[in-house]
Amino acid sequence: MNKKRSLMFTLVRGTAAILIALLVATVLIFISAEGATFGAKIAQTGSALRQLLIGPAFRNNGTVSVKNLTDVLAAMIPIIFTGLATCVMFSANQFNLGAEGGIMLGAFVSALVAVYFPLPGALLPIAAVLLGGISVGIMMLIPAVLKAKLGVSEMVNSLMLNYAVMYFIKYLLNTHLADKTKGQIMTYEFQPNAAIPQLVDNGSKLSWGFVVALVAVVLCSLFMYRTRWGYATRMIGINQQFSKYSGMNVAGIIILSQVLGGLLAGFGGGIEMLGRYTSFNWSALPGYGWTGITVAILAGNNPIYVPLAAFFISYLNKGCSLMSTYSGVPSQLIDILQAVIFLFFAAKQFLARYRQRLVVKSTEEELKLAAAAAAAEEGGAK
Amino acid sequence: MPEEYVIEMKGITKVYPNGTAANQDVDFSVRKGEIHALMGENGAGKSTLMKMLFGLEQPTSGEIRVNGEKVNLTSPTVAISKGIGMVHQHFMLVPSLTVAENMVLGMVPKKSGLFIDAKKAVEITKEYSEKFNLHVDPDAKVMDIPVGMKQKVEILKALVRGARILILDEPTAVLTAQETEELFKELINLKKQGYTIIFISHKLNEIMQITDRMTILRRGRSMGVHNTADVTPEKISRLMVGRDVILSVQKETACPKEEVLRVRDLEYVNEWGKKMLDKVSFSVRSGEILGIAGVEGNGQKELVDMLFHLDIPNAGTATVNGENILGVSQRAIRAKGVSLVPEDRMLYGIAADATIEENMISDRCDAKRLNKGLLFDMKAIHKEVDQLIADYTVLCKSSRQKVGSLSGGNIQKVVVAREFSNSPCLIIADQPTRGIDVGATEFVRKKLVELSRSGVAVLLVSADLNEVMELSDSLIVMYGGRVAAYFEDTKGLSDSLMGEYMLGLKQQTPEEVRRVCHE
Amino acid sequence: MLKLFLTPDFFFSILRISAPILFATLGAVVGEKAGVSNIGLEGTMMVAALFGSLSTYWSGSWVVGLLVALIFGVLVSMLMGFFAFNLKTDIILTGVAVNMIGSGGTLFLVKVITNITEGKPLASTTSLITKKLQIPAVEIPLIKDIPILGDILSGHCLLTYVAFILVFVTWVLLYKTPLGLNIRSVGENPNAASSVGVSVLRIKYIAIGFSGLMAGFGGAFMSMYYAMGWSLDMVAGRGFIALAAQAMGAGEPFGSMLAVLVFGFAQAAGIKISSVGIDSNLVSPIPYVVTILGLVIFALVVRRRVKRQHSSAALKATE
Repeated sequence: MNKKRSLMFTLVRGTAAILIALLVATVLIFISAEGATFGAKIAQTGSALRQLLIGPAFRNNGTVSVKNLTDVLAAMIPIIFTGLATCVMFSANQFNLGAEGGIMLGAFVSALVAVYFPLPGALLPIAAVLLGGISVGIMMLIPAVLKAKLGVSEMVNSLMLNYAVMYFIKYLLNTHLADKTKGQIMTYEFQPNAAIPQLVDNGSKLSWGFVVALVAVVLCSLFMYRTRWGYATRMIGINQQFSKYSGMNVAGIIILSQVLGGLLAGFGGGIEMLGRYTSFNWSALPGYGWTGITVAILAGNNPIYVPLAAFFISYLNKGCSLMSTYSGVPSQLIDILQAVIFLFFAAKQFLARYRQRLVVKSTEEELKLAAAAAAAEEGGAK
Repeated sequence: MPEEYVIEMKGITKVYPNGTAANQDVDFSVRKGEIHALMGENGAGKSTLMKMLFGLEQPTSGEIRVNGEKVNLTSPTVAISKGIGMVHQHFMLVPSLTVAENMVLGMVPKKSGLFIDAKKAVEITKEYSEKFNLHVDPDAKVMDIPVGMKQKVEILKALVRGARILILDEPTAVLTAQETEELFKELINLKKQGYTIIFISHKLNEIMQITDRMTILRRGRSMGVHNTADVTPEKISRLMVGRDVILSVQKETACPKEEVLRVRDLEYVNEWGKKMLDKVSFSVRSGEILGIAGVEGNGQKELVDMLFHLDIPNAGTATVNGENILGVSQRAIRAKGVSLVPEDRMLYGIAADATIEENMISDRCDAKRLNKGLLFDMKAIHKEVDQLIADYTVLCKSSRQKVGSLSGGNIQKVVVAREFSNSPCLIIADQPTRGIDVGATEFVRKKLVELSRSGVAVLLVSADLNEVMELSDSLIVMYGGRVAAYFEDTKGLSDSLMGEYMLGLKQQTPEEVRRVCHE
Repeated sequence: MLKLFLTPDFFFSILRISAPILFATLGAVVGEKAGVSNIGLEGTMMVAALFGSLSTYWSGSWVVGLLVALIFGVLVSMLMGFFAFNLKTDIILTGVAVNMIGSGGTLFLVKVITNITEGKPLASTTSLITKKLQIPAVEIPLIKDIPILGDILSGHCLLTYVAFILVFVTWVLLYKTPLGLNIRSVGENPNAASSVGVSVLRIKYIAIGFSGLMAGFGGAFMSMYYAMGWSLDMVAGRGFIALAAQAMGAGEPFGSMLAVLVFGFAQAAGIKISSVGIDSNLVSPIPYVVTILGLVIFALVVRRRVKRQHSSAALKATE
C-alpha cells in the first residue's frame, strides 16, 4: 500500500473509532441526563455534549477559555511521560505495565529530595526529578532482568511491583516520613525552591514541566528513530529472531528499553509532583500509567505522536469534568470513552475489509505499472 | 474398469495466488491395497498434491475421485469422512495429553453423559493398537514418548477415524534406522489388512524396500508411474534429480588461497536423540565456492545452525581464520567476518514490518561510518542503502517502503545485499534462491561467483542440484548426517552419479572424503 | 507473637481472604489453559460486583444479585472475546481496556444508575447492602462442633465454600470432561485441535466465558459479603494477584490454590500485625513480593529441567 493510502486508512480508522466512542458517550449521557420529558432530556444531552466537546476550548459565550486550555495542557504533563515510557517498552514488545507504580515512586522520591536535600536554587528540583527517574529505572531492572535472563513474564512482575511500591510508599508515608502536625497523611512541605516554576500563573499548574515533557518527546523520538539503540529496540519488537541473527544484543536491549521506560515514568512523577503540589499526599496509584498505555496505543507507539494523543485524552478528560460540573453527568465517563477508543484503535481487524480493498487497489496499480515498465524495457531492448 | 483405483486424481493443476504453479496437469492414481510411493525432490510438488487430497488446498483445475466417486474435498473433515487420513511430518499431537487422549480428541467417548470415559479411550487405543500391531502406551503422555511412538499414535489416530487410505508425509525423516524398520513392518501389516498407503519420500532404498508402485514428480509435473520391481534405482534417480534447464553461470577457474572455515568432527544429536551430524569435517578456502549437495534432511540445516550459533553441537570444532565460532554470540561471529543468507528468510532474514533501509543496516547499525556520536548519521545511512538498492537492483519505490510488501525475489535481494556487502570473509548461503523468480535467482548466483572470485570463501548449501553443480568449484554430498562424497571439480560430474550419492546408493571411502580438509 | 497467629480466627480469616482471589485464579487457570491471558479479571470483578450489589438491593434477594453478577461477569468476558478473537485486538490490551471500565467506568455507572433509581447519585453502594442482604454464612453441622477445626472451617460465607469446591470442579472440568480436553488441546496446539474438528474459536470463547463467570463469583463475594457493598477500587488488585497465583501454581487448579492461600496468609497476617500497632502497609506488599520470588524460583526450576533433558538426550544418543 502506498503512503497516501495508508495514511488515509489510518485517518478513517481513527475517526471511526472516535465516532463510535462518541456514539456510546451520547447514549450514556442521554440515559443519565436529567429531564422530565423526552424533549428536555434531548436538550440536556445536547448541552452536556457541548460541554464535553467544545467546553475545554470555548466558554458558553463563544470566547476562547484560556484557563480551560491551560488546564488541558497541564494535565498532559504526566501522561506524556507515561505515554513515552509505554512507547519505548511496547516498541521492544515488552508488555511492562509498571509505569503506574513507576510514576508514583518517581513522585515520591522527588518529594523526599524536595523535602530533605539542602540544595540551592534550581539545583534542587533538577536533582529531585533526576533521582526520581533513576530510582524508577532501578526498579524496572527487576522485571527487565528477570525477563531477559530467565524469561519470567514482565507483565505479571510489573503489575506486582506496582502494588509493592505503592504499599512501601504508604508505609513510609504513614510512619517515618509523615508530617504529624497535619490532619491528612502527607510529607512535610517541600523547600520553596523545589517548586518547578509556572509557565502561566493562573492556577492551572501549567509549569515549565510541560516544556520539559515536549523536550522529552523530541529526545525520545531521536532515541527511537535516530540512534542504534532505539533502532535495535524497534527491530527486536518487530522480529526478535531477526535481531539476534543480525548480531544485536537482544537481552541488553530488552533491559535497556524497560529501564528507559522506568526513567521516563520517574521523571514524569517528579515533574508532576514538583510542578503541581507542595507536599506528597498520594494515597493510591494515580492511574497515569494506565492512561499512558492509552496514549501510546493512540500514538501507534511513535513518540512524536504522543503529545497529540495526550492532548486528545486531556481534552476529553477536561470536557468530561466540565460536563459533570454543568450538567450532572458524572465525569468518570472519560474512562468508558477512553476504553472504547482504545479498544477500537488496538483492534487489528477493525475495518480490515476496507483495508484489504485499499491493498488490492494498490497492488493492482503496482502490477499495471510493472507491466508497463516491462513492456517499455522490452521495446527498448529490441 | 480393469483395475480398482481407490484414488484417481486427473489433470490436477495448482497455481498459488503468488503465481507459483506447484502442480501442472498431474495424474495420480492409487490401487486398492498397495503401498504407493510419491517421489520427488524438494519443491517438486509432492506436498501440494497431497494437501489437495487431504482437503487442505483446493486444485485450480482437475478432478479427484475416491472409490470411483467424484468428490469435492473442501476440508480435512470431508477428506476424513471419505476415508482418507494423513500423518503430517510435523505431528498434530498435544504434548501434555496422554496417548489415549490424543487418540480420541474431537470424538471423546463419554460416560454419564458428561465425563470422559477414560477407560473406554484406553480400550479403543488398545483395540486399535493390537488390531494393527502398532504398539503404543495409552497412558503415557505424548511429550514423554519417543518420536517413533508418536508416529504410531498419528497413524492410529487416522485409523480410528475410519481411514482406509493413509497418506504418510516423509514418515522416516525423523526416525532412527530401527524405528524405520519397525514402521515398515507395520505398514506391510496394514497393507495385508487391505489398507492403501501413499508414502511420500525421497529415500530410494526405502522406496525400493516396501512400495509396489511409484509416481515421480519433477518440477510440478509427473514423470510417470512405475512398478517398483521394474525400475532400477539408477533410473529412478535420473527421473527424480534430472535437470531441466541449465542456467549457465560464467565463472573463471577458482584459485583458492588460505583456509577460512575449518570444520572438524562436528557432531549433533537432536532433541529426540537422533544423530543429525556425524563427524562432519571440511574446509572452505578463500576464493572458492564449496557446495553442499544433498536431499533435504540429511544434516545440512543442522550444520548451518551450528555454524551460526542457532544451536549448539555435541562435539567438534569450527573456526574462521583460526578463531572459534561455536557457541559464541552472533555478534561475535559476524565480527569475524561471517555472513549468512538464512534458509528461512521471513524468520531470520528480515523484519517484515520494518523498512528496506532498516533491514539493510541491521548487521552494521553500530558501524562508525553510520554513526555520528550518539546519533545515526542519516545521510551516510541513506547513501549506503541507496547504493545497495541500486547495486542489487531491488525493485521498490523508496528505501522507506516496508520489506514485507516486496516480492519474494526482492526480499531476498535485500537480505543478500546486506549479507554480501559488509566485507565478509566467509559467506554461508543456505538455499539462497529458494522460491524466488528467475531474474533474482540469476542475480544472486552471479553475485556469489563475483564475491568468491574477489577472495571471499563461500559455503553454498542447496537442495537444488542445478544450483550446487553450476556454482560450486568443488562440492560435498551429505547423506545421513555424514559427508558421503567429495568432488574436487564439478565439471564433468553427471546428474546420475550425484543422484546415487545423494540417495545413499554410493559412498566414498573415508580417505576420499577426507580430501576436502585440504590437509 | 506466635500466639497471635495460632488462633482459629486467624486461620478462619485466611480462608475468608483467599476466597475472592481463588475465584479469579480459577478463571485465570482455565483461560491460560486455552491460551487466553485474561488480565481483565480485575475490571470484570468490579463490574460484576457493582451489578451484583445493585440487583441484590433492588430485588431484596442475594440469590438474584449473585445471578446478575455472574451474568455480567460472563457478558464482559464475551465482549473481551469479541475484541480479542474476532477483531484481533491484543488480549492484554483488551484486558487493560476492561480494567479502565472497571475502575472509573463503574463509578460512572453507579452514579448514573443510582441517580435514576434512588434520586441521587451515590458513589458507592455500601449504604444499600444491609446485613440482611448479605450472602449468608453457613454453619456446617458436625464439623462446627469439632473444637478448633470447627471454628476454622465452619461459619464461612456460602461462597467461600463454593470457591474451594470449585477448585475441585475446575480440576474435574479440565481433566475429566471432553470440554476440558478440548480446552487444553486448544491452548497447547491449536493446529492439532482443529485438525480433528475441534473449533478453536468456540473453545476460546467458552474458556474466557468461564473465567468471566469466576470473576462474577469473585465480584459478588466482594460486594455482597466481604465489603458489604460496592465502592471504587474495592477489588484492589485481586484480579492481578490471581494472574500471579496462576503462574506460581504452574497453571494447575490445586497448585494455584496453594499459591492463593499463601497470599491469604500474608494478608491475614498483615491485618493481625496491624492490630498490634505495626503498620499494615509494611505487611501488605508481602504477597506481591512473594509472587515475584515465586515466579523466579519457578523459572529456575523449569530451566534446570529443560537443561537436564537436553543433556540426557545427548547421552542416550552417544551410547
